[in-house]
Amino acid sequence: MANMALEHIYKRYGKTTAVTDFNLNVEDGEFIVFVGPSGCGKSTTLRMIAGLEEISDGVLRIGDRVMNDVPPKDRDIAMVFQNYALYPHMNVYENMAFGLRLRKVPKDQIDQRVRGGAKILQIEHLLERKPKELSGGQRQRVALGRAIVREPKVFLMDEPLSNLDAKLRVEMRSQISKLHQNLKATTIYVTHDQIEAMTMGTRIVVMKDGFIQQVDTPLNLYDFPKNKFVAGFIGSPSMNFLTATCNNKTVSGNGFSVEAQGKLADSLSAYNGKQVWYGIRPEHLGLEGSTTIAGGANRLTGVIEVVEPLGAETDLMVNIGGQTVVAKVDGHAQVKVGDTVTLFCDQSRMHAFDMEKELAIGR
Amino acid sequence: MRRINFRPLVYALLVVYLTIMLLPFLWLLVSSLKTTPEMFSSPFSLPAVLRLSNFVEAWQTGVAKYLLNSLLVTVVSVVAILVVSGLAAYALARSQFPGRNGFYVLLITGYAIPIHTVLVPLYEMLRSAQALNSYIGLIGPYVAFGIPFSVLLLYSFFLDFPKELEEAARLDGCNELQLLARIVAPLSLPGLSSVAIFQGVFIWNEFLLALILISDDALKTLPFGLVSFQGQYAANWPLLLASVTMATLPILLLYVVLQRQFVNSLAGLGK
Repeated sequence: MANMALEHIYKRYGKTTAVTDFNLNVEDGEFIVFVGPSGCGKSTTLRMIAGLEEISDGVLRIGDRVMNDVPPKDRDIAMVFQNYALYPHMNVYENMAFGLRLRKVPKDQIDQRVRGGAKILQIEHLLERKPKELSGGQRQRVALGRAIVREPKVFLMDEPLSNLDAKLRVEMRSQISKLHQNLKATTIYVTHDQIEAMTMGTRIVVMKDGFIQQVDTPLNLYDFPKNKFVAGFIGSPSMNFLTATCNNKTVSGNGFSVEAQGKLADSLSAYNGKQVWYGIRPEHLGLEGSTTIAGGANRLTGVIEVVEPLGAETDLMVNIGGQTVVAKVDGHAQVKVGDTVTLFCDQSRMHAFDMEKELAIGR
Repeated sequence: MRRINFRPLVYALLVVYLTIMLLPFLWLLVSSLKTTPEMFSSPFSLPAVLRLSNFVEAWQTGVAKYLLNSLLVTVVSVVAILVVSGLAAYALARSQFPGRNGFYVLLITGYAIPIHTVLVPLYEMLRSAQALNSYIGLIGPYVAFGIPFSVLLLYSFFLDFPKELEEAARLDGCNELQLLARIVAPLSLPGLSSVAIFQGVFIWNEFLLALILISDDALKTLPFGLVSFQGQYAANWPLLLASVTMATLPILLLYVVLQRQFVNSLAGLGK
């Protein structure tokens, strides 16, 4: 196991820069998740750590050693690929033992480690099978097994669950988390799924267009996003954004008026008379009369366009003066499409963002 | 609307085609088991007695020697073509280096050069190198002529080879040679088999270069050797046909064994 440092890392393809000034210190045993939309540079960064892509600029250290020019085989890294990348001509045992054999590990140790890894992942009964005889979930477990038997310094996982169905994905997600808790291995995990990121990562790196947007713990990302992109990317359904005008502590627009509290109220004083983005998560909105969210003077009034009952809760899409917001309300709320409703906002959870730079206004 | 079932017609056409393809070979096999008078009196009948002695006699009077020569030249040439073309095609499919496309085009252009146009310079080159009338003098040109098409075929095959497997192997600890030997080559058997069959058949049947570059009877390959049989056994056609049957069998067996890989690889050609 080891700590890792990425210092001012760049990746350029000709005139295109895929990753810009990437800085990150990963502590020994951390589970770091790179998350972001397609093309944000998360997989490229992971591949640079693995040595599968050259680093155009900057320094990569694993432990105390600079790894920029070290070939992948000498970095002591194991990687789990999106499409498993199991060797089709080898059975499960051979797939898991391959890396150990190349490193000339004694035979009895190889056997012990492969069978041990197989036991942890509950694939002992599959050791003689070829990859084509396995289901997607089993293949994924074998790919994980191949990585863990190596006992590397760092684990890299490139969207390892994206080829699995929803149920299996949830199952494997918790299995990987348990595995990390047991092995305490430094892990870098790439995903575009923010739920995976939130549930698995000790820290999350949110990326967009090759730039790091924010590095923080899952809850801090949720509560204190640094900009509008992070605020919108983390959370499901995403945060609502409405264009609003700031008037002292109040942000208002067509159909809504909300008074900020605490530090945000102070910060908004600098924006008096200016336009800002008012941000509020669907779960921090409530229907009039709801007991969960206090009302006060804050109201958003509009017409229901869509009702999505999910059982435990219902998602409402409400048109507020031409801007649509999603509100997560009680699953048995008596509402229907076309109803005019008043929503209340949890003022302590509201956000505001600079209209031009889209940076969060302090709260 | 009632759909017309074309299947019986397709099968009928296939049977006709198969018959046209197999009849000459069947005739060759049947005739090689007859006596000369029987062959001319009833050329399409089955032999009254199976004269296996035709095969024994042909074997003893030279076929064995020519067969061994052909085997040696073909095996060495095919192995050399596989190694050189495999490495070249893999490098072209995977590496980025200046002039890569130009190099590929240059290599493939070699495929468009007919053997006949280079016969004289080739002969002169081999003569100055004192390589005429030797195995190496025959194997060298076979390898050179075999490389362009083999690179073309393997290049398209390697383009489709999953890069993740190579990356996984590199992270597992493979160096480039281990990667080729333990991952790429075993998983490229369809492509490599196709090259082996294509080049094997070509070299096994090749006549012109052998005729020009070899004159020593001890070094003659089967097609060239069989021609000398023609004069020697002008009156004994079944013996000659037995020799031809023996010459055909190895390559036919090779195709039967590698048939699946051959078809798989051709299905991916032209990407």
